Parts: sequence; C-alpha cells; structure tokens
Amino acid sequence: MGDAVLTQFFSGFSLVAILIIAALGLAVIFGVAGVINMAHGEFIMVGAYVASVVQSGLGGNTFWSIPICFVAVGLLGLVVERTVIRGLYDRPLETLLATWGVSLILIVIIKMIFGTELHYVGSPEMLQGGFPAPGNLPFPWYRLFLILLSILLLVLTFILFFRTKFGLAVRAVRRNRTMSEAMGINTARVDMLIFAYGSGLAGVAGAVLAPIKTVSPTMGFPYAVDSFMVLVMGGVGNLLGVPVGAAIIGEGETILAFLFNSVIGKLLVFLLIVLVIRIVPRGIFGYQERTLGHRR
Amino acid sequence: MSENILEITGLVTRVSGYTILDDLHFSVQENELRVLLGPNGAGKTTLIDMISGRYKPTGGKIHFRGRDITGLPPHKIFKRGICRKFQVPNMYETLRVFDNVMISLAGHRLVVQSLFHKHTAADHERVVEILEFIGLAGKAEYPADALSHGERQWLEMGMLIAADPKMLLLDEPTTGMTEADKQKTAGLIQRIAERHTVLLVEHDMHVVRRLARYVTVLHQGNILAEGSLEDVVANEQVRQVYLGQGKFGGA
Amino acid sequence: MTTASTGLGGARLRLRREPMFPLWSIAGVAAVVAILATYPLYGTEYVMNLLGMFVCFSIFALSISLIWGFAGILSLGQAIYFGMGAYFIALSLKLSYAAENPTRYGGTIPDYMEWNGLEEVPTIMAPLMHLEVAIVCLLFFPTLLAFIFGVITFKRHIYGVYCAVITLAEALILQEFIIEYQAYTGGFNGITDYETYNNMYFLWIILGVAVVLFGATRLLTHSRIGTVLKSVRDNDVRAEFNGYEVANYRIFVFCFASMMAAVAGGLYAAWMGIVSHLDTGPILSIEGVIWAAVGGRSTVIGPFVGTFLVKGAEFFLSQQLAWAWQLVMGLLFIFVVKFMPDGIIGTMGKSIANRRMRSAYAETGGAYGAETLSIADRLRAVFAGGNASFMDYLFGRDGRRG
Repeated sequence: MGDAVLTQFFSGFSLVAILIIAALGLAVIFGVAGVINMAHGEFIMVGAYVASVVQSGLGGNTFWSIPICFVAVGLLGLVVERTVIRGLYDRPLETLLATWGVSLILIVIIKMIFGTELHYVGSPEMLQGGFPAPGNLPFPWYRLFLILLSILLLVLTFILFFRTKFGLAVRAVRRNRTMSEAMGINTARVDMLIFAYGSGLAGVAGAVLAPIKTVSPTMGFPYAVDSFMVLVMGGVGNLLGVPVGAAIIGEGETILAFLFNSVIGKLLVFLLIVLVIRIVPRGIFGYQERTLGHRR
Repeated sequence: MSENILEITGLVTRVSGYTILDDLHFSVQENELRVLLGPNGAGKTTLIDMISGRYKPTGGKIHFRGRDITGLPPHKIFKRGICRKFQVPNMYETLRVFDNVMISLAGHRLVVQSLFHKHTAADHERVVEILEFIGLAGKAEYPADALSHGERQWLEMGMLIAADPKMLLLDEPTTGMTEADKQKTAGLIQRIAERHTVLLVEHDMHVVRRLARYVTVLHQGNILAEGSLEDVVANEQVRQVYLGQGKFGGA
Repeated sequence: MTTASTGLGGARLRLRREPMFPLWSIAGVAAVVAILATYPLYGTEYVMNLLGMFVCFSIFALSISLIWGFAGILSLGQAIYFGMGAYFIALSLKLSYAAENPTRYGGTIPDYMEWNGLEEVPTIMAPLMHLEVAIVCLLFFPTLLAFIFGVITFKRHIYGVYCAVITLAEALILQEFIIEYQAYTGGFNGITDYETYNNMYFLWIILGVAVVLFGATRLLTHSRIGTVLKSVRDNDVRAEFNGYEVANYRIFVFCFASMMAAVAGGLYAAWMGIVSHLDTGPILSIEGVIWAAVGGRSTVIGPFVGTFLVKGAEFFLSQQLAWAWQLVMGLLFIFVVKFMPDGIIGTMGKSIANRRMRSAYAETGGAYGAETLSIADRLRAVFAGGNASFMDYLFGRDGRRG
C-alpha cells in the first residue's frame, strides 16, 4: 500500500508539472493585468492542435512544437487582447464573461477546421521509455522532461519579472496602475505584452499536453478550472503561489484518486481549497489585504 | 468636565515592519470637537481606521463609552455609535442621492428589519431635512455618481448625520473644495458638533481656525502636542515639524 | 448658517414615486400570461413544450439576476441549485413510476438502478417516492447548501472573481459526481422515462409560479432590502461602515435565489421528462448568466426577455446549423459585455429615466448627465475605444457602473 501510494506520488509529478505550466500563464495575466481569462483552457487546446499540425504537417516533434506553439498562441492572445479585453481592464468580472465568449468561438473554429474526431500526437523518441524509480513502475522520461520544463518556465518568468527592465515596469503596473501611468509607463503596452506572454505559456502547455492526452476541441475546460483552483489556493501575489498550489492540488488529486476515485479526489481537494481560503482568503501566497473586502 | 467618550491606551500599529502608531494614548470628551493635525504620514488616517474598525491594531485598547471596541468589525463599532467619513468620498454610486441618505438613517440594520421595514412619512421628512441641510435637496433624484466632488463630500456627511451616531470621525472633509465650499463645510461641521462628538482630521488652517477649540498634533505615530490652537501653534516642536510645509505660516 | 436653496423655490421636496407595480406592467404581464396560457388551445405541442421550458429557464435567469444584478455576486454555479431541484423531482417521479410500471425484468425500481446492479431503492432515497417529500427537499437542501457556501465565503469577504471561480469548480464537481455515481443518479444519460406533467394545466402552474416569483423579486428589489442590496453592490465598504453586516445580506439573497433556482429546476424536470448532468453544470450556469445579461441584469423583466430571445433564437438557429449557434453565442457574449452591459431592458429603462430627469431639471437651470454629443462625435468616440459602452455613447451617458 505504502509503495503504491509512493508510486502515485511520483506519477502525480506530471500533473503537478502540467498544472504549473498551465496556471503560470493564467497567474501572470490575472496577477498583472487583473483579467480573468476563461478562454485559457481553449488557448491550451489550440496549442495542442498546433502541436498536432507541427507533427503531422511539418514532421517536427515536441521540441519543435514548444516554441511554435508559444508564438502562435501568444499571437492569438495578442489578437484577443486587442479586440476583446481592451476597454474592460477595470471590470474583472466582465472580462471573465467576454473571454468565455472567446472560448466558445475558439471551440467552433477548431471544430470547423479539424472536425470533432480525436487527434493523437506522439512524444519525441528520445523521451520514450523511462528509468527505474522507487515504487514499482519505471519513471517515464517524458515526466522528467515535464518537471524540468515547468522549472525552466518558472525560472524564465522569474527572470523576466525581476531581472529585466520590462519586468520592473510590470511590477510597477501591478502595484499601482495609476501611478505607473503618471510615471510614463505605457500600461496598455505592458498589459498587452503580458497577455500575449501568458497566452504563449498556455500554448506551451498545449504542446506538452498533446502527447499524453487525446486532443479534442473540448479538452481545455477542465485544465482551465484546475488552473483557477491553483491560483485560488496559491494566491496570485507571488510567483511561488503557482508551484505550491499546483503541488498540493496535483498530488492531492492523484493520490486521492488512487485511494478512492477521481471524483472523490476532486471533491476532497475542492473542500481543502475552500478550507484554505477560509483561513487565508487570498491564497497561501496571496497579498493579504489589510482592508475590508477586495476593491479594484 | 464631562466624561471621556473615547479612550485609547497604548495603541500600536505595525504594518510589515513599519510602525505607524507607536504606543498612542489619546482621549476625546463627550460633545467635543477635536481637531487632529499632523504632517502627511503622521498616522491620522490610520488612527481613524483603528477606531472605526477598518484594521485591527497590533496592540493597545480602544474604549468607547466605557466599553472595549478594540478589533471589532466595522458594523459592530457602528452599532456602538461611531460612524466615519472617508478621505475620498465613499457612497452608493448608482443609488439616488435620496436613497443614499435614506439607507443611512439610524436603525433597521438587520436583514429581517430591512425586509419588513416600510419607510414612514417621518423617515421621508427626516431625509428631506438632511438634504436641505447639506444643500442637495434639489438633486435628490440624481444618481450619486452624477455629483461633483464637493457635493459628494457633503452627501457623505449627510449620510453620517442621518446615521445619527454618538461620534463622527471626519477624515479631511474639505479636500478638493473651493474656498467658499470649504467655509460652507466648516459651517456644516459646526452645526453637527452642536449635538455630536466629532473627531476631525483637517489640513486647511482656515477651516481649523474657524472650528478648533482643542487640537491634537500627531507626528510619527505619536502625540506631539495637545492643547488650544494658540498653544499648539506657538509650540516650538510643532513649528519644526511643519517647517518648510508653510502650513502655519502667518499664524 | 442658512441651508442652501433647494432649487425648487423653497417648496417641500416632492419625489416622483414609482409605484411597486405600475399599471402598464400589470397589463403587460397579464397580456403575456394570457397569450402563453392559452397557447396550447391553438398552437402546436412542440412550441408549447418550448414555452414551458423557457418560462422555467426565465425563473432560473431571474435568480441569477437577483444575485448578480441587484447584489453584485456573480455565481457561475447557479445551475447547481437548478439541478438539485430538478433531480429531486425527477427522482421522485421516477421512483413512483417504477413502482407502478415494472421493468422488463420485473423489478419495481428505476431501470438505471437495475442496470447498475442495485437490488432495491437505497433507504435514503426511498422517502422521495412521495412527491411532497421531494418538494420539501427541493425547498430545503439547495437553500441549505447555499447557506453553507455563503457562510464560508461571504463571511470571509470572498466574492467577486474568487466567488465566480469557486462556484464554477463546484458546479463542475457536482456534474462529475452525477456521472460517476450512475447507480443513484442515472449517470451520463440522466433520469428519464417517467410520468411527465406536460399539459396545459401544468403550464398554468408554471406560469403561476413564475408570476409569483417575479412579483416577489420586484417586491424584494424595490423595497428597503433591495436598496440595501444595491448599496452593498455599489460600495460594500461604505455599507459595512454604515452599520450593515454585508455578509448577512449576501447570504440572505444568495439563499433566496438558490431556492428560486431549485423551484425552476423542479418545474423543469416535471415538464420536460428528462434531467441530466447538463442541467447542473457550468455550461447551463453561464448560459443563465448571459440570458440575464442580454435582457438586463439589474431589472426584473430583463431575465424573462433575455431568456426568450436567446433561447428562442437558439432553437431557431440550431435547426439550420448547429455550429453557427455556438458562434453566435460567443459573439453575443462579447457584444453584450462590451457594448450593452445593462442589457436590453436596462438600457431602455436608463434612457427613459435620463430623458425624464433632463426635462425635470431643465427648468431649474441645472444640466443633467453628460453633455449632448453629436452623432459624429459619438461614432468617433466608439472607434477611438475606451471604457464606455456603445449604448452609453448613443444615449450620451458616461460608462460608469458598479
């Protein structure tokens, strides 16, 4: 039993890594621009389809599709930001509804282009197979790759935010939008680029998800909800919130799903999240406001 | 001498390592109009926040009419008889001016009461009276967000008057007003102070001079000086703190 | 000090008093109810089915309007309560149907339970056989769940975006629960094949309930508590410092709306004869939000209008091309949010109110609202972007709202 749980613990790593990659984009967009992107799951889905095109059309593997998906979905995000989000920045609930509309449109477009049948994408040859790990099952190379990639993206995002001039502007906007505007920071441009970057991360998530999940037009939504839960749990005030939230939710769901079943697992994790926000309303690493309520 | 209505002992407030209020002892007497002065960052607004329950203090006690109100939520502190005005006028933007005041009338704060209470003609009269008092009767049916900045300040004060608390905390009620409006506001405050205890934070010396009987100067989270306006203005330390700000120039 | 002039020549201030139920609204409702109620006498059964369904959905949209438009709580899981109500009634009807109509294998339990290897109805579910018990459950349990949710979140000042996301996850989990535990819930296929109440008399009952609930909502939103709810929506901090325990008001309205949604769900189940996991999920929740938004989320009639328009268009369009409907839905979402946040009825109401105010204040010399712009100016403003909505430009108001 203990051994089996340990095995589950290791296999949970892939879900944790995927959640990090998926939620990172969402956290960046919500944390900086204050936009709730309900189409995030569909951005992941579009990324997965782009990956399938890269494989079947161009013969490239996941290593190729990661940068291509980043750019393609990032551009998609740019277009969505320019057309839909712009003008809604001070109304987070309304961005939520508008981006829900975007998600419906994306699903229709993908259905029109690719049809409703499932697509399969293979993983790169050098990442097939695995190596022995504690527990009974071998630890797949692909899982290790996901973990490394999630760490890499976290580090890159950290560098972008804390070691570049653009990052300084981003942090300034996050702390005080009006003041930043007065100081000559082009906040509209910061918002736009951040939205594109976050969307690009969703594209990367789609690219690495494609080989391990079936690709379908409706695959994105559960990932979006899980990513939201990561943010609620971890908080958006600090980049650390994403890996911590992802680790608790990913491992919790995997292990509890093994012990009971996946629905009970999800329910228990949900109850845990509710319990956590009951104690810290803005998430574990959230910026706990001293004031009453949450006014934007 | 009447009793102290508000009694603050050893109030400490720290926010992420910074001490904003440092072992503050402070009291206000019943039916007094107390003016709180101090340079920016002295902790005036923080003190108001602490009394009204916006934040919980790190240490110390706040007693109001003999009862401990430290760390109570705002609606409970309101129930004890304290109502505050915010530095930036804060109201119900989409409601009519009339409803803004009506909803602030004393009493009927529980859900059940709100559910079954029907506004009487007396309530209506009272609201009209207040609107005339603050000079907004002509705009009773405007939505609050159609008002100008000065009118918004008055409306919020009207809401406080409607609530009829024992003590009013007024945080810079004249910011952003013309000189004439400031004088009008000062008149309003004077009338309010006839029947209520008022703690007023104010920067404008013309207004202060018109209103102040007893003044407290805060500096770096503590009381620098207390006394009549003349004494305080004459105080060497106070002059030093304000030096360069020109606020007391010509006093 | 003299009090400032009232601008009305010292006359006692007289406010325009809006009656609780204006004559035109009573007449309008009566006309609509009469048309719907007599439709079965001359119309087709297919359209009658749709009409009953639309009215159920209208009540559901009204419940969303109440919490979102009037109290500022956006729940993306309102279908949880709709679905709970629907499942209670469907289960009840199914149990009594099964008891009287044995299955192929002679069992007197619902067919899906038999397929999933249950020998008898679980003891917890057995009392649901009586419709009265089911109705009591329908009124009690959704409200209880809403109460628990409200106490957990609103008491800790969790609302807005966080509330939306959490309710969304809640709906998703309930949906998965229903699919997973198919022996009890009918799983993916839902509960069907029971005696439905699909006739003119039940349509009258649905209409009656709808009229009562719409009236109750109007009473609620236009009395003191409605004003308090709107003030909480506008500025909860001010309300808190004004002595209102904001969380209690939120919990109250959330529970009331949830009960309303459950009632809508119960009627829906009895009318349609089928209930599935889709009736509890996030999709229906968000569709309800858009119905309310299209009609006007801060109005009582809006949800009714929105539901009939959107749902009606859906049935008309999806017969032509199924995918086109989704595309239209998506575009509608974006259009309403960006350009018409007050919805159809809300925008109409505001422009009427504005015109009335303008003429009322013209004589006192004060200008009301935004200055009048030329049409060219408005178009220029639209293409220049910005925060205000298209309708606001058209009607010359700035784009502020709560």
